[in-house]
Amino acid sequence: MVDVRAVRSAARLEFAQLSRSRPLVLLVVLEAITFLVLVSLFGLTGARAPTALIDYDRTPLSRSFVEHLDAAHHSFRLLPMPIERANDEISSGNIVAIITIPKGFSEQIRSGGTTVLPVTVDNVDADLTADVREALPSAITAFATSNGFPGVRVSAVEHDVIDHETGYVDYLVVSALALAAFVVAGILGAVAITREYEGRTLTQWRLAPVHTGWLLVGKLIAASAVAAVAITLAGLIVVVGYHARPAHVSGAIAALALCVVLFTSLGALAGALFRRTLPVAALFFGLALPFYVDSGALEPLRFDFERLWTAGHFSPLYSAIGVLQWSFHGLRVTPESLAQNTLVLALWTAFAVLVAAAVLSRRVVRA
Amino acid sequence: MARLDLAVLRRSPWGIAAAIIPAAGMLVLVKLLTVAVTAQPVALVVADRGPQARVMAKILKADTDSYLLKVVKTEEKAQHLLEQQKVAATIVIPHGFGRGVARGNAEVHFWLNNVNIDIADDIRRSVDRSVVQFDAPQFGSSAAPGAAGAGLAVPNPYRVDITETDLRRTDVSFDLYQVLPVLLLLVIALGILCGALLGSRDRERRTHVFLELSPLRRSSFVVGRLLGTLLTMLAVLVPVVAYLAWKGTIAPPHGHWPPFLAILASTAVLSAAVGALLGIVLHKASTVALAAVTIASYLFFLGGGFTTIAFLPEWLRTLSRAVPTRYAIDGMRQTLFYPDLKGVAVDLVVLCMFAGVAVLAGVFALGRRTA
Repeated sequence: MVDVRAVRSAARLEFAQLSRSRPLVLLVVLEAITFLVLVSLFGLTGARAPTALIDYDRTPLSRSFVEHLDAAHHSFRLLPMPIERANDEISSGNIVAIITIPKGFSEQIRSGGTTVLPVTVDNVDADLTADVREALPSAITAFATSNGFPGVRVSAVEHDVIDHETGYVDYLVVSALALAAFVVAGILGAVAITREYEGRTLTQWRLAPVHTGWLLVGKLIAASAVAAVAITLAGLIVVVGYHARPAHVSGAIAALALCVVLFTSLGALAGALFRRTLPVAALFFGLALPFYVDSGALEPLRFDFERLWTAGHFSPLYSAIGVLQWSFHGLRVTPESLAQNTLVLALWTAFAVLVAAAVLSRRVVRA
Repeated sequence: MARLDLAVLRRSPWGIAAAIIPAAGMLVLVKLLTVAVTAQPVALVVADRGPQARVMAKILKADTDSYLLKVVKTEEKAQHLLEQQKVAATIVIPHGFGRGVARGNAEVHFWLNNVNIDIADDIRRSVDRSVVQFDAPQFGSSAAPGAAGAGLAVPNPYRVDITETDLRRTDVSFDLYQVLPVLLLLVIALGILCGALLGSRDRERRTHVFLELSPLRRSSFVVGRLLGTLLTMLAVLVPVVAYLAWKGTIAPPHGHWPPFLAILASTAVLSAAVGALLGIVLHKASTVALAAVTIASYLFFLGGGFTTIAFLPEWLRTLSRAVPTRYAIDGMRQTLFYPDLKGVAVDLVVLCMFAGVAVLAGVFALGRRTA
């Protein structure tokens, strides 16, 4: 039988304590936005390498080539500039490469010859260098195909599995919502419990004529409500600021709500185990980043090694991201179905609440 | 003052752990990312048994930088792998490929799980490059006019070739390029968290009253606090740097050790001073932990620790000029990855200026509080 009064009182107490910890609540809200910003910064570095373009030819054919460079699978952010400035910029690390279209480019091509483009690459980072090296053949094949040059015998024909393209930042920010929920709700859930240890008020739980579990539920409801406000704000930024409109609105709301409840419960469990705020807050932040990557936040996790994919199943973020990507972008990023992912999240929540209640009950009895 | 703070921090292992955990998390993140950004799993079906198909398959198999190839016998099997997300794409060299090559209209089909443009574009670029290698096996071997071999263009049907000049003698691996700045995150997080913790602890335990009553000069108080934080940081950082140097992860070129250590030292002073300032504003350990980790993250990310500043929008690049850690990270990369020390002096001067301003602000703020 649910002890509504105990739950309500515990929730009211937690709300009162949170209202006295405004800096904490403000920081938590800031944290939710921080993750969106951080993953956006990462996403921006994944495409459109800033590249100096020096066109000495300036003919329709060279302009057509530049258009193909620009369209080469989001590879280049072309910045026309004189060679002196380009040399300066590349040595300062402001651009990744310099592409020079030599004089006589179109003449040479029209006469059936091959023209040579000098390309200077800042090869300080092997990953960026590889992107530039691979993007140039893409632009060159597209250029040759559009101009119908004879002698090209093979072409690549693409068939997309998904009927729409999702931008990288759009993809990342939706995953970041799960990350934000993990950190924000986790920390609030943890603080709700560690405060009882640090303030030595846990002994008072023993005096309460109700089961510890109901007090825990009440505190979790309050912490979840505050976390939900922060996540709603982050969600609105994703929808309005990033124009990532959910494909399934009710699904998105339900997924975020489930994430908040789950991570608040996990936070409470961590709080009950660690009993101190300082390491728990840092732990959630520190765990968030590796969990984020090992949960399919950047791409379906199974595309990375099978072992990583297996390990990812131990993180609730894996299923959370699966559900969120479906609800926002209509994508299936896990081999498991939507129902399976939702069930896993529900089981995680039940596990966290039950274990936290058990740990707290034991500690209260000891106290 | 320094001895007292050192003793307090020695008895706060959780505080030190709280500073180390985010850096450790970032290290794991970068290691995992190294796996994620490299080659993608792709299934290959070679339906044609002719020599041309074998050449095409050989090109695809040889490109181990781009593909983790699984050769499968049937398209159905490849499709199953794609559905199970065991591969990101399937490439099919269809039956009749050889005849298509003879006619000049052969096709290589690929089915792509275009879940986002990052992974999709990577595979598109790789397939295009493989196709170019079939028709232009010597692609990229021309010499630009003016270079040795004066303007030698190796003909190819695309009529465009490239000649690449690398700015550096060696490529630095993605792993190393991203991992080493994590050391700076450790410095920043340690400095801010330890510095802030000391201040907030004084308030939380009300021991600030004793400090206010002690006949300490304002400057002694601040310098003592900074010294206590710095000594704690040294206790953590010296073994880490020594281990990385012993392992060969930190291996700066000859003569680069002094500027590298100077960058670490000035970043440590800066973060300890920022921490001391934060400790004045915040009075609870829970808020200190959150605020310190958040500030350290912003300083690290906006400074280019996890991103390449040049890729960011103009306004963010302008903003990052006001972020002191940008100079620390730029300087650190220059001392470790480049043969010269171009720009390091400027980075160090700017970093020291930021550190100086932070220390002065600390003297003023802490002094005012104790007064």
